[in-house]
Amino acid sequence: MNASALLAIVAFAGALLLVFGYLYRIAAKSHAKGELADEGIRILRWALLGQLVIFLILAITAFLT
Amino acid sequence: MAVAQDAPSVQTASPGLPPYTKSLLKWSFAIGVIPPVALVAALALKSLYMLDYVHVLTGGAWTGFDLYTGLILSRILRSLEVPARVEVAKRLTPTTFFILPSLSAVAITAGIYLAQKLGEFNLNDPWILAAGAIVIILVAQGFGIFLPNGVRIFLELAKAKPDPALISKLTMRNVRLAASQAVFQILIILVMAHLAVY
Repeated sequence: MNASALLAIVAFAGALLLVFGYLYRIAAKSHAKGELADEGIRILRWALLGQLVIFLILAITAFLT
Repeated sequence: MAVAQDAPSVQTASPGLPPYTKSLLKWSFAIGVIPPVALVAALALKSLYMLDYVHVLTGGAWTGFDLYTGLILSRILRSLEVPARVEVAKRLTPTTFFILPSLSAVAITAGIYLAQKLGEFNLNDPWILAAGAIVIILVAQGFGIFLPNGVRIFLELAKAKPDPALISKLTMRNVRLAASQAVFQILIILVMAHLAVY
């Protein structure tokens, strides 16, 4: 296993979660005010899930080197 | 300036996400999973040739996109009125949403594996350090500006009353950033060419 590669991928995924977490808070506030439809929150969740799947596939590579 | 007025198919921003957003996002995801899967295949097959191919292809595609966006698309968008820019953003943002982060992540990861396999991953080498510094700048721009802007465009489009000026501003910011990424990528290719030859 390539520990440094796995660590780098986890760090990138962590940064991604931080960015999405911040944006999710903004979106949730807009949703609470009635400015943002449910669809906006839903698409944000799907977008995050899609990005995490890509990073998950990338994390597999750390176990192949 | 007359482009938006003359084009009858261009509409002003309508509230909520357009119906084609989901299909464009699905398309982007379907293309976006190919590079990491190809990298997994290259490593599973222990093929240095395929690893090199994945690195060069993803890096080249990433650079090509940024050059196209920075040099060509930026000029086109600047010539459009705000409602027409919003129509482009509605389609461009979901289509690139998964593809670009995937290309950049795979190009960088494959590059590190390649350097390790070729015995070039020496952190005392100024050329490797230069490559690392440029990669950090590119990644910081991607995570810090590109991706958040893309998500903010989605959120704005999903609002009952989207702000076309904000969508246009965020889109133009990403386009300008693509131009700066293109400059850094031209520099990193210079470093790669040196590493490959010397």
